[in-house]
Amino acid sequence: MSQPRSSYAVGTGLFIVLGFAALAYLATQTSSVANVHQGDSYTIDAQFTNIGQLKERAPVKIAGVRVGQVQSIALTPGHDVADVKMSIDKRYDQIPQDSVATIFTSGLLGDQYVGIDYGTAKQVVAAGGTLARTKSTQPLEEMLGKFFGAGGVVDNVGGSYTVTADFTNVGTLSVGAPVKMAGVVIGSVQAVRVDPVKLNARVVLAIDKRYNQIPDDSAAAVFTSGLIGSQYVAIQPGGSPDALKNGDEMILTQSAMQLEDLIGKFLVNGSPGDKKDAGADKK
Amino acid sequence: MSARLRKRNNAVLQSLAQIGACALFLLTLLAAIPRSFRYFRETSRQLWFVGAMSLTIIMVCGLFVGMVLMLQLYHVLSIFGGTSASGMVVALSVYRELGPVVTALLFAGRAGTAITAEIGLMRATDQISAMEMMAVDPIAYVATPRFLAGLIAMPLLCCVFCAMAIFGGHLVGVTWLGIDNGTFWANMTAVVDVRTDIVNGVLLKSLAFGAVVSLIAVFQGFTTPATSEGVAYATTRTVVASSIAILALDFVLTAFLM
Repeated sequence: MSQPRSSYAVGTGLFIVLGFAALAYLATQTSSVANVHQGDSYTIDAQFTNIGQLKERAPVKIAGVRVGQVQSIALTPGHDVADVKMSIDKRYDQIPQDSVATIFTSGLLGDQYVGIDYGTAKQVVAAGGTLARTKSTQPLEEMLGKFFGAGGVVDNVGGSYTVTADFTNVGTLSVGAPVKMAGVVIGSVQAVRVDPVKLNARVVLAIDKRYNQIPDDSAAAVFTSGLIGSQYVAIQPGGSPDALKNGDEMILTQSAMQLEDLIGKFLVNGSPGDKKDAGADKK
Repeated sequence: MSARLRKRNNAVLQSLAQIGACALFLLTLLAAIPRSFRYFRETSRQLWFVGAMSLTIIMVCGLFVGMVLMLQLYHVLSIFGGTSASGMVVALSVYRELGPVVTALLFAGRAGTAITAEIGLMRATDQISAMEMMAVDPIAYVATPRFLAGLIAMPLLCCVFCAMAIFGGHLVGVTWLGIDNGTFWANMTAVVDVRTDIVNGVLLKSLAFGAVVSLIAVFQGFTTPATSEGVAYATTRTVVASSIAILALDFVLTAFLM
């Protein structure tokens, strides 16, 4: 008909086409279509003693490749194990019956997923079948605990005795921090204060009475649990026949290492750019 | 004292009456949808006006929102060495919040005001009365086509906005700041979910915002005093009421959809 009407029609048509093109772009290019794609799949069960942060619709992977997703998570009635139902793509129906289902975490802080490691059995898991062999999630705390020997609250029933130690630098050591020997907690830091005369940090350590055989030439050091953990006092036994008594002072001490110093020792050369920056900062 | 109290009561009653009238007006609009099919051409003309004509501002704004978001995220995330995640954060924040909300605010400013002013002027110049004289239903011919056009245009505009924002983020992140192209897309596709982010975030929210903005714009146009001052007042009210409604509704929708 008239000219302006048809130009409206063309403009509107273009607008609608552009809008839907944008939608198609968002849906296909910026999101994983696999997340919605629900082809033919079959369900298998696995029972875990601890599923950690596993969620429904979390991926199921074999050799790192996504083959399905977690369908449901429920407690098995009458048992304290979690029953995880996984729907696996029909194309991957050759999973051996003795395969191991493990709950993994992607990276340190990532989401959790179920990984399946193939076994060697000839029989494959049928639809609705169960993977008998599972490995549950390892709480990060437990894993770190194994590394650093932390944990184990000190039992104060037997009472404690106090010794003092002077450090030139206690870092971020705070009252209540553990005192450890050979990685085992034997007491806690009772007080941290500055000696007004010697101008260093005087730390009062309360040590459990059961550990009254610590040689009096033992050394005390301020260590850090892990890279970003809290600081604690470690006692390294010496060779003296006399034991530390209440109110004694520990002579040999090693102050807190600053992470910066430590790294600086590794990177002796450093990068010239960094040094220049540091110099500029000081000015 | 009692005079002030009466005045306040009056204001409360008035805003209640406004909300009630708006809801009733929505029912009238919806009831007029079958009758307005006759004026299909008018709907498509409105779609051209509120949709196609808003494309430029939506595209430019989307581009810049994506670019500035990426710039900010890059500098914060570089503290933690997590710059590779910035593409995915841009995508998620644009899909879930910024896309629908900014598009709706722009839409209220660009199209909502125009609708209110046009209808207000139609009333000020007695065009609405003239239609009634000619047995043309002004609701079916003027109000419903504009409402429907807003309803259809908003989700489409929002998609365009989001796509441009991703493009802008890609431009700044990959082209200028040197994030790896593959990581950018891989991280994004790994976390963006079609159902929760694109359907619930982009489409559903923008549909709701489109309905709210168009309803407020048409309602203000139809209820304003038919004077030039009244039109100016109604236009301002459209922007203010739409903005508040969009942001409040956004919170409610997010709380329900998340």
